[in-house]
Amino acid sequence: MTEVKPATIVLDGQEVAIEEGETLLELAARRGVEIPTLCHDPRLVPAGACRTCLVEIEGWRRLAPSCTTVAADGMVVRSANERIERHRKTLMALYLTDHPAPGEIAPHIVDGSEVHRMAVECGAPDDWPRMAPIRVGREDHNAFIQFEPERCILCARCVRYCAEVEAVSAITLADRGSRTTIATADDLSLMEASCELCGGCIDVCPTDALTEKLALALPAPIPDKLERVRTTCNYCGVGCQMDLEVEREANEGRGRVRRVLSPPAGTTTNDGNLCVKGRFAYQFIEHEDRLTKPMVRREDGLLHETSWAEALETAARGLLGVKARHGSDALGFVSSSRCTGEENYLMQKLARAAFGTNNCHQCAAT
Amino acid sequence: MTRKKRPDIAAALQQAGGLREGASRQVAKDSGVPEAHVYGVGSFFHLLAEPDVELRVCTGLTCQLAGADALLVAARAQGIEAVGCSCLAACDAPVPLLRGREVLPAMTLDDVRGVALEALRSPAGEHWQRAVGPELELDASASRLLHAPSYEGASFAKARALGPQGVIDLIARSGLQGRGGAGFPAGIKWRSVAAQAEMQRYVVLNADEGEPGTFKDREVMLRRPDAVLEGLAIAALTVGAKEVYLYLRGEFDRPWRAMSDAIAEFERRGTFGEIAFHMHAGHGAYICGEETALIEALEGKRGMPRIKPPYPTEKGLWGKPTLVHNVETIGCVPAILERGAEWFEALGRTGAGTKLYCVSGHVVRPGTYELPLGATLDELVEAAGGYTVGLKAFSPGGASSGFLPAAERGRPLDFKALAEVGSMLGSAGVVVLGEGVDMAWAARQQLLFFEEESCGQCAPCRIGTRFVRERLDAYIAARDGGDAAAMASALSQVADVAWEMDEGSICGLGMTAPLPLTSAMRHFPSDFPGSSTGDFPGSAKLG
Repeated sequence: MTEVKPATIVLDGQEVAIEEGETLLELAARRGVEIPTLCHDPRLVPAGACRTCLVEIEGWRRLAPSCTTVAADGMVVRSANERIERHRKTLMALYLTDHPAPGEIAPHIVDGSEVHRMAVECGAPDDWPRMAPIRVGREDHNAFIQFEPERCILCARCVRYCAEVEAVSAITLADRGSRTTIATADDLSLMEASCELCGGCIDVCPTDALTEKLALALPAPIPDKLERVRTTCNYCGVGCQMDLEVEREANEGRGRVRRVLSPPAGTTTNDGNLCVKGRFAYQFIEHEDRLTKPMVRREDGLLHETSWAEALETAARGLLGVKARHGSDALGFVSSSRCTGEENYLMQKLARAAFGTNNCHQCAAT
Repeated sequence: MTRKKRPDIAAALQQAGGLREGASRQVAKDSGVPEAHVYGVGSFFHLLAEPDVELRVCTGLTCQLAGADALLVAARAQGIEAVGCSCLAACDAPVPLLRGREVLPAMTLDDVRGVALEALRSPAGEHWQRAVGPELELDASASRLLHAPSYEGASFAKARALGPQGVIDLIARSGLQGRGGAGFPAGIKWRSVAAQAEMQRYVVLNADEGEPGTFKDREVMLRRPDAVLEGLAIAALTVGAKEVYLYLRGEFDRPWRAMSDAIAEFERRGTFGEIAFHMHAGHGAYICGEETALIEALEGKRGMPRIKPPYPTEKGLWGKPTLVHNVETIGCVPAILERGAEWFEALGRTGAGTKLYCVSGHVVRPGTYELPLGATLDELVEAAGGYTVGLKAFSPGGASSGFLPAAERGRPLDFKALAEVGSMLGSAGVVVLGEGVDMAWAARQQLLFFEEESCGQCAPCRIGTRFVRERLDAYIAARDGGDAAAMASALSQVADVAWEMDEGSICGLGMTAPLPLTSAMRHFPSDFPGSSTGDFPGSAKLG
């Protein structure tokens, strides 16, 4: 048996072993070689549309998108040289002509546009004549997702995410040529489309074309006073990780959650995906009706703050009273879909062992 | 793995009367395709996206020379919902109009002025091709693509006897090159498809002829649908395909009828055994002439070109090996089988075979002329009855080939000689521009075309086509207004953008789109006084 030589490529002068099926972009990332991208997302089928990740492959007449090109044995690849540098500069200069200037971005948007950062990074000329906005938007009365077509660069990450990850396909590339835009069928509101308002489109957008409406209604933030706090979504038992964007000093020092952000894809069990509840239904945190302390209803019919001991004691007494007067099956226990499996287990244990009834249900079980 | 086949939602939208409100939802219900995707497809194709348009006026360069704008104004003046449209492949009979999907060739202002939409009649009648061939005899010197049809299927029988390897060798030896634009050797393509491990293969006819100045495929389909189908059947037999797809542009109503009649005739005779032909209509998108965009459209999607490699020979229609050929190319195949590779090869002068050249613009008899590959402009125009005015410029192979000056009139019109001067034979749609044509104006017409027809997928092309056209507009405005400072600066980014569009675009449309302007600036500097091309280091584009 002769030993099979492992497949390798030469990347920027260094020989690198190939992992079966990986793209040049993945291989470069593994080696710590940074290649800029705009339309790439590890969750999506590579599109090769933004053209920022082009590399030079020896023997290939044209520059090739590293995101779609699978590494093949013997390839000699350059991720940077004069030709690539010129390409990136000119490409980013072109993007700038079709994109609002940094100063035109609403102060509410703290992320800004990846286009501006990338243009500065590669030293693209920013004095080319800007073109008037051409892409048309739609009025959309949905409560959560704002779309500003003139800020869109048509990377189509949102469209592909909606189809490939969420399997919802509420949005599409529409029209063509320089008027190409992102749309729903007949420009319907997202509320009338198949959209589930998961907001993943906002998360994948590399510009400020897609943003959170709820945050737009708040006073503009002070960027360096913003913090990100990793937490677990408590809407169900899946355990999605999410990052709260918090202003600690807002609300007279009580703090405020501005937005819920996705952790980067590939870093958490939920792979950066969230649902409408996790991403947008966070106003309960600061809601005046929210119960934050144990309460008990006294003879006056009103709820009064109390200790946990008294609250539990009162509940137990009430339940046992019903059992004594009407029997165990007069009781029913309904647990919440926000509970974990373990919590649901404990709830049925409580129903059966402590109160002797099988009347136990969970609100998501229907 | 076989991909799930999407139904033909574009055809369903056409049935529904185009992209009217609610049509996407209805088609989505019937087809199972998400309604947003149906809408995305419908909005991509102009014939579907603008259902209320009653009349389209060709605004190709040749038709602009013939006064297309005035016809558009006249039509609108009598209340017809009329818009300009990209080349209708009837440059030999300017100005063609499109009513619904019916082409009305050779319309003049008198035919339009004061006439109601339903009453519009073409003066050219049903058989409107006026000039074909240099009065060619039915002799051995021609591919006979412009002559009488035959349904004998003799070449197909010969191919069956020769076997796949024999046919591939024959095609390779004949030197046949793709006549859709790229000039890729047909033999290599056939061999590549035949060599794939995947046994499900397809043959596709690219009849999405839309390169401005080009109308030869239309003529071949009208005159020799039999040769096209026989060529396709031979190809299918050779590469092991049972299914053949014919993609005709949506504006080809007459070629559609000719092809479907011919399919019916062959089916009646049972000539091609189990090989099945499927016809598919385009819906108004030039880019679908790019083979991978065409395949996307066949699959029921927006016609956006794919990243290559892989090429269709390896992963084409529904991911299977696919042989895609232009009408003229495949039409040459039966004659090669009949008369041999050496006969075909010897027909040409600087390359193999004869070539159907389309010529329009400032010539006496615009039309399709069959000449040896490598004929010159002067020979072609002589066949067409001569120049109507002194020659200033010509576009040798459609809008994508840019412009060449009169000094190149003796250059062989072939794949190699034209590439040497930064142009190309392309589809051999030759447009002749006489003295007095402003090349800045001519370039603008071509830039408008590319801007309109860009698929919008990749940034260099989507942004670049518009940016370059807007820069030219700024220049023309400055020139006409005598603003020297603006004249000097207006075009200063053009060389860089053209370089980037060539380097960075996904497909040939974006790569060549700026060429009409850059070639005009290079060859006709006197039409661009006071301009600066602004070449920063390494900028070689304008030479």
